[in-house]
Parts: sequence; C-alpha cells; structure tokens
Amino acid sequence: MELIETVELASSASSITFSSIPQTYTDLVLKLSLRGTDSGTGGGIVRFNTGGTYSTRRLLGSGSSAFSDTGADNFLVNSSGLTANTFANASVYIPNYRESSQKSFSSDSVQENNATSAFQMLAANLWSETSAITEISIEMFAGNFVQYSSASLYGITAGSDGTTTVS
Amino acid sequence: MATPTYTPLATTTLASSASSVTFSSIDQSYGDLVLVISGTTASATTPIMRFNSDSGSNYSWVRMDGDGSNDTSASGTYTGASFGRIGTAQSVIIAQIMDYSATDKHTTILSRGNLPNDRTRAMATRWANTSAITSAEVIADATTFDTGTTLSLYGIAK
Repeated sequence: MELIETVELASSASSITFSSIPQTYTDLVLKLSLRGTDSGTGGGIVRFNTGGTYSTRRLLGSGSSAFSDTGADNFLVNSSGLTANTFANASVYIPNYRESSQKSFSSDSVQENNATSAFQMLAANLWSETSAITEISIEMFAGNFVQYSSASLYGITAGSDGTTTVS
Repeated sequence: MATPTYTPLATTTLASSASSVTFSSIDQSYGDLVLVISGTTASATTPIMRFNSDSGSNYSWVRMDGDGSNDTSASGTYTGASFGRIGTAQSVIIAQIMDYSATDKHTTILSRGNLPNDRTRAMATRWANTSAITSAEVIADATTFDTGTTLSLYGIAK
C-alpha cells in the first residue's frame, strides 16, 4: 500500500478533492479524519468523477441502540456539538477502481465524543457508473469541514509473490 | 515512497465461473493475510474458507447485519470459515486472517461484507485449530463466483 496524497485543510472547506488519480493501482483506500461546522448529526459522501447515482445499506450504533437504513451519507463527521478538538475517523476501501463495472465500496466510520452518545457506522455502497475512477471528492451534506480535517489516499497493487499459488 | 504494507501474494480474475478458488503454498513470513473479493456470484451467498483442507465443523462465527431496514445478529458453527457477503450486485468483501502463521493459537478472521442491494455485514470467525495456514480454499458455497470476479491475497508485515 502506497500513499498517493494527503490533504490537510489549512482553512474551512466544503470538500476535499483528489484529482488525476494514478491509473496504476488495483484498489484504493481512503483514511479520513473529519470535523464539521454544522451542528446536525454529521455525515458526508464520497463521490467519484461526475454523475451517476449512489446507494447504500448502513448499519449504525449510537452507544445505546442499533439500527439499519439506506441513508445517503457513507461516512460520519464529528458535528460541532461533539467534544471540542475531536474528529471522526473513517476508512473507505474501493476495489478495482479502473475496471469497467459498477463500483461497490466499503466504508467504516466512527465519531469521537466524550459523552455517552457517538455513532459508529458500517456501510455497503454502490456507484452506478462503470467508468474508471479518476477523481474522488469528499463532501459534507451541510456546512464545511473545519481546519485540520484531513484525508489520505492510498493505492494497493494486487499481484504475485512467486511463492503463493492460486488455482 | 511510503513502505508498502499490503504485499501482493496472489490474485486471480476468473475467466469463467467457478465454485471455488484455492490459494496454496502461502508464504509464512507475514503477520496477517488480507483477502479481497470484488465481483458477483450467481446468487447471494456467504462464502467460506477452508484452511489446510479441513472440512470438519471446526469453524464458529458471529455476525451483525444491516439490510437497510433491520439490524440483526446471529452465530453458529460450520464446515468452513464463513465470511462476508456477496451476491448478484457488484460486491466487495475484505477479510483479515489474523496471525495465520502462528502455531500457538486458534485463527481469527475479521471480515466486512458489502452487498449494496442486500446488506452490509461485519463478521468474526474462529478456526479451532492451532496449525499455521498454508492453504485456503475459498468456496462460494451452493453457488458460483461469476466470470470477472477477482480474488486477491495480500500479506501484512509483522
């Protein structure tokens, strides 16, 4: 796994974008550390290129109950009402991003809060388009990401070590 | 350049549908293994892995699912290590096989299954055996992996 790029916000912004993504890896991984200016529940979406539709199946836990839904957010963000200086964390796995098939991707995220309530979310996601992913935009639904929010993009290359065989 | 932590061990993209794929002579020099499956099956399934050809009821599991309206949890024992979820819509499974080369503990598999038209799943599975894993047969279980599905195995450095 190789680091492609890390972006840390120097000032508040509504999105973080990785453009001209190298077409040399097999899979991509995003690691996110995010806090927002909005006081709502706190969530955002990973978008690819332009166009297409997104669908999700989500499993969430709040600290006191669990539930499942098909909400649009595919990662959590720490909202402004959560403990100061804490950020939500997320990991997003995007396999076969260069292939000409619809893109299924996995996202796990968690909020941080020095209280009894904070959400954790596991999500199965699908982007309906079949084009290669050349751009990834990490967007808030409401408000902005605060300064010091960060996103790192990694590339993973599949292959053979010459020892392990597959049949 | 950053140090790679997912070392590629073997990968296959199926040229025709297949009921199973076997990884053999697995390099013993890593701490964990990660298996990534991206693709589809002829029908929705929970695939299994059999380690070192063990087909006994030596694999126990616990899982939690969200199907978009209900959250559920279940547990059981099976003749292979159940992991993830895959189906007729483009799916991705990520399974981490912990301490696979150890000979002093049972093996734990942590997996995430993502079938976007069906459910998201987190699963923990235990192989009740202290042997090092040298082979893993990945079985679709009562269905087949479709043409074009990729299965990739990575080593995670100790």
